[in-house]
Amino acid sequence: MAAAVGPGRGGSEFWRRFRASRPGVAGLGLVILLAATALAAPLVAPHDPHATSLVTLAAPGAPGHPLGTDNLGRDIASGVLWGSRASLVVGVCAAATAIFLGVVIGAVAGFYGGWVDALLSRVTELFQVIPRFVLALLVVALFGGGLGKLILVIGVLSWPQAARVVRGQFLALRGAAYVDAARVLGLRDTRIIFSEILPNVLAPVVVIASLDVAGAILLEASLGFFGLGDPNLISWGLMLNNAQAYLRQAWWMSVFPGLAISLAVLGFNLLGDGLNDAANPRLDA
Amino acid sequence: MTIRLLALVLTVLLTAATGAAAPAQPQSGGAAVVALGGDPETLNLGITTGYAVGAVAASIYSGLVWIDARGDFQPDLATAWTVSPDQLTYTFTLRQNVKWHDGRPFGAADVKYTMDEITGKHHGRFRTAYANFESVSVRSPTQVVIRLRRPYAPLLRLLTVFDSPILARHLYEGQDPTRSPRNNEPVGTGPFKFREWARGDRVVLERNPDYWNPVYLDRLIFRIIPNAALRVTALEVGEVDQVMDFYLPKTDVDRLRRNPAIRIRLGQPIPSMGFLFINTRRAPLDNVKVRQALAMAINRVQIVTQAMGNLARPARGPFGDGFRWAFSPEADYNRLYPLSVERANALLDEAGVLRGAGGERPVRLRLVYDSARAPLVAAAAIIRDNLRAVGITVELQPMDRAVMIERVYTRADYEITLQTFTSGGDPAIGYHRIYASAPPGTPFVNATGYSNAEVDRLLQQAAEVADQTARSRLYAEVGKILARDVPTLVLFDEIGVDAARTSLRGVWTGAEARDRWDAVWIQK
Amino acid sequence: MASGGLTLRRYAAGRLLQAAPLLLGVVVVNFLLIALAPGDPVATLLGEYPAPPEYVARLRQEFGLDQPIPVRLALYVWNVARGNLGFSFAYRLPVAQLVVERLVNTFLLMATALTLAAALGVGLGVAAARRPGSGLDAASTGVSLAGYSIPDFWLAQLLVLLFAVALGWLPAQGIRSVREEYTGLAAALDVGRHLILPALALSFRYMALIARLTRASMLEAMSQDFILAARARGLPERLVLVQHGLRNAALPVVTVIGYNFAFVLAGSALVETVFGWPGVGRLLYDAILQRDTPVLLGILLMVSATVVVVNLLVDLLYAVLDPRVRY
Repeated sequence: MAAAVGPGRGGSEFWRRFRASRPGVAGLGLVILLAATALAAPLVAPHDPHATSLVTLAAPGAPGHPLGTDNLGRDIASGVLWGSRASLVVGVCAAATAIFLGVVIGAVAGFYGGWVDALLSRVTELFQVIPRFVLALLVVALFGGGLGKLILVIGVLSWPQAARVVRGQFLALRGAAYVDAARVLGLRDTRIIFSEILPNVLAPVVVIASLDVAGAILLEASLGFFGLGDPNLISWGLMLNNAQAYLRQAWWMSVFPGLAISLAVLGFNLLGDGLNDAANPRLDA
Repeated sequence: MTIRLLALVLTVLLTAATGAAAPAQPQSGGAAVVALGGDPETLNLGITTGYAVGAVAASIYSGLVWIDARGDFQPDLATAWTVSPDQLTYTFTLRQNVKWHDGRPFGAADVKYTMDEITGKHHGRFRTAYANFESVSVRSPTQVVIRLRRPYAPLLRLLTVFDSPILARHLYEGQDPTRSPRNNEPVGTGPFKFREWARGDRVVLERNPDYWNPVYLDRLIFRIIPNAALRVTALEVGEVDQVMDFYLPKTDVDRLRRNPAIRIRLGQPIPSMGFLFINTRRAPLDNVKVRQALAMAINRVQIVTQAMGNLARPARGPFGDGFRWAFSPEADYNRLYPLSVERANALLDEAGVLRGAGGERPVRLRLVYDSARAPLVAAAAIIRDNLRAVGITVELQPMDRAVMIERVYTRADYEITLQTFTSGGDPAIGYHRIYASAPPGTPFVNATGYSNAEVDRLLQQAAEVADQTARSRLYAEVGKILARDVPTLVLFDEIGVDAARTSLRGVWTGAEARDRWDAVWIQK
Repeated sequence: MASGGLTLRRYAAGRLLQAAPLLLGVVVVNFLLIALAPGDPVATLLGEYPAPPEYVARLRQEFGLDQPIPVRLALYVWNVARGNLGFSFAYRLPVAQLVVERLVNTFLLMATALTLAAALGVGLGVAAARRPGSGLDAASTGVSLAGYSIPDFWLAQLLVLLFAVALGWLPAQGIRSVREEYTGLAAALDVGRHLILPALALSFRYMALIARLTRASMLEAMSQDFILAARARGLPERLVLVQHGLRNAALPVVTVIGYNFAFVLAGSALVETVFGWPGVGRLLYDAILQRDTPVLLGILLMVSATVVVVNLLVDLLYAVLDPRVRY
């Protein structure tokens, strides 16, 4: 699993191959759509998503409510549109946290090896034997689930994958000729790690980042489904949690937010596939 | 009301016309299935007030008395009782030839032992009654005397199976009642015997052939269904025969009413209310005008309609209107605090909480509530929306029950909070603790920091006086003060609702749907 | 052969020994997490009526909550080392008994879901690999993508809506019928009926993963020399596929199941909630709400131990399936 080409070197080649990947392009399209929705939500949403009204459980197609309303008369369409914000923010920020932690930890472990590596590997294992969701559920239930906390918890629980891959790459590259050359030149370790080796392992990291966003969105939704989220925001997971009690009367309360989650996750998964295709040309799709 | 009366008349006429029979003869046999929302923590009803425990164990144990659907006391283990004129001595005559499920005879010593050693120490509600006890004494194997230190009006209410179930002395003596193995394999004197308990799935009871009344069902099964919507589905498809009030999501009731296979009982024999506690220690909520403004800005009707599925009445005063005799028109919210954004705004302006440039007032209220309670989650969203209309920002802070207790009661670290309280059958049992002065820190006791010596005095009197008219006067007086000061805003009086399949007959002879399963039978 | 078995055994023993500090880590981290969290287990236990302070103090002492946190932790670890997981605060029962009861149900659900996922996933993957680029292949890719992206708890909701509510074919919740007292085969069939929907919901994601991996490894295998040779010898295509191709496909299936075991367990917690399945997921959630520390720690410990054991089994299976792997 060697990084053939990364965005660091031959970026245009990478981009060319990415464009040739059908899943990648479809994924990018979905992600752009998601981002656009998040940005434009205040402009396009027909209602304030928090505003209650006496039009309860209106079916899709009701006047002014294309996707219907929920038990408090809140507009579902507006909720779905606004919900993209929380999903995107949590997804991207949590993934960024995870990647940052993973890259630093993986790089240090891989570069130095020895006891640092051994210690970090044990910590990584610790995070792997307890299911991530279970730990997230525990922490958020015990300490509360505001936006910042959600991002931190999901991010901190998601770093091992990136760490493992980066560590592997560093282990493989630390003996490379150009690294030795840098050492001979007397460059500091941090410089070697971040300026010399890191750019060469970015390709798999980008792939993992994309998949991490998908995972984080899913995890946020799962926590919301358990009623653990921040009701001061609009969250698809919380909408699904609320829908649970109205499944028989109002299928639209469940179907539309669920669809939105699926599409967002699909988008980042496809994007990850595309990036992977571009990074590892030897595996054809 | 008139419509219901008309319906009743029609039903009577119709049944008479079709000759569809006077009350059918109860049939023996079969199993009834009752839905529970979660596992009981134990099956020892003497050490807990847990709802699920009561649902199961009320059929296993007996109390001294039970309360019928009209609210009258009926003999259970005690066949008769007398009260001395000074209201200090209660003498109970016990039922004869009653046997425990293990075959040993029941007697007065069991009653004394239970009250002194188990319920008097460990039962949350009975403990408050027991604090007034001078002694429990055995006069003969079939006679027990309770002597009080001071009169205690609600005493009889606290002698039902839910408050002081009688446990077997021979099985508990010399043990820690909270750890006895009998708590998981209970032995009682009730209509059903314990058979099996598969945690997370079901509890199965079977007929006690030695019960003093006929018992019709072969088995009484409690099925654990944590998901509220699925409990209703199970009732509709016939997997379950009854869902009791506590476990019935109110917003589904409308649909159930239209289902001919399902019967609904409305009414709340034991009043319960939903509250908005206002932390009076914190500015600007220490200003009574701000609290009164909240009372006029919050739409109680919307909360009742949307959060409670119309199965509640918008609250009308500090003690609700569930106890007619404790309700006073002078404390009527409808008169004092009609819904009015204008008047709420005016009060807030008067209090000096002025709107800023963006139209928002410099008030940020953290609204704390238990995230597991669906009606509270909905009510919180409505209140946020209501208060935004008068320029107040509300930050929703849902949390699990353990943290909620700590935040609200132990640390009083909140501005407003949603809470529900049951009266326990008398305002003195359930509601006094909300209003009476108390040092901070005790769960489910005065969390608002409100303290008024006059209120304390009146409440104390109301708990001790037995005469209904005198009590009525006292509650009118205290109600007036509390309605003016609004340390807590009562949001709604719950309307209890139980649902059962029509094939289940003889249900609901007791005030509580959890009670009196001996009389229940299945129409084949 | 004998020596191979011995090394395998020694390897397994070594791995289990290594797991001990790992599990200790699990206990310590979670213990501290719970101990430092807000929310008092005694307050939640007391119910909604005030209790006298001496009663509260007695409970606190009974649960050992009057001790400082390091002492409690040390005591807990000492007890666990002796095989004692403690007593539940809420149920006042031995934790081991409570957790095992539920874990059995969870494993039943997981095993069914994974079997389903393996059967359908391999089938789909093989079918797709036989004719790459065909409509069937495209369909299988679509199913895979959906499988990754659709939240399993939402799928569960949709399945309830369709098969239990709208069509009424299958029960919406629970593990068995309670009114009827089935025995023997009838009881098993009854549980089976209740299993279908939750197992389907839980399996979808892993079916997708397995299908994708099977397709890829089949494509790789089918282009290799020994397959070409088998074809050249005139073996029927079906036989080639089953004898040679599937052996190669077994590996990804084992991998997916093994390394996702922890995730399946977590997914199970969500699916259990939707279907009211009396598994460990619900117990976990209730234990969090009640701050039932012994039960919480017991669940986390037993779950982690299971994951360690399953990972080991997967590695061993790997060795059996893939002769190249040696220990």
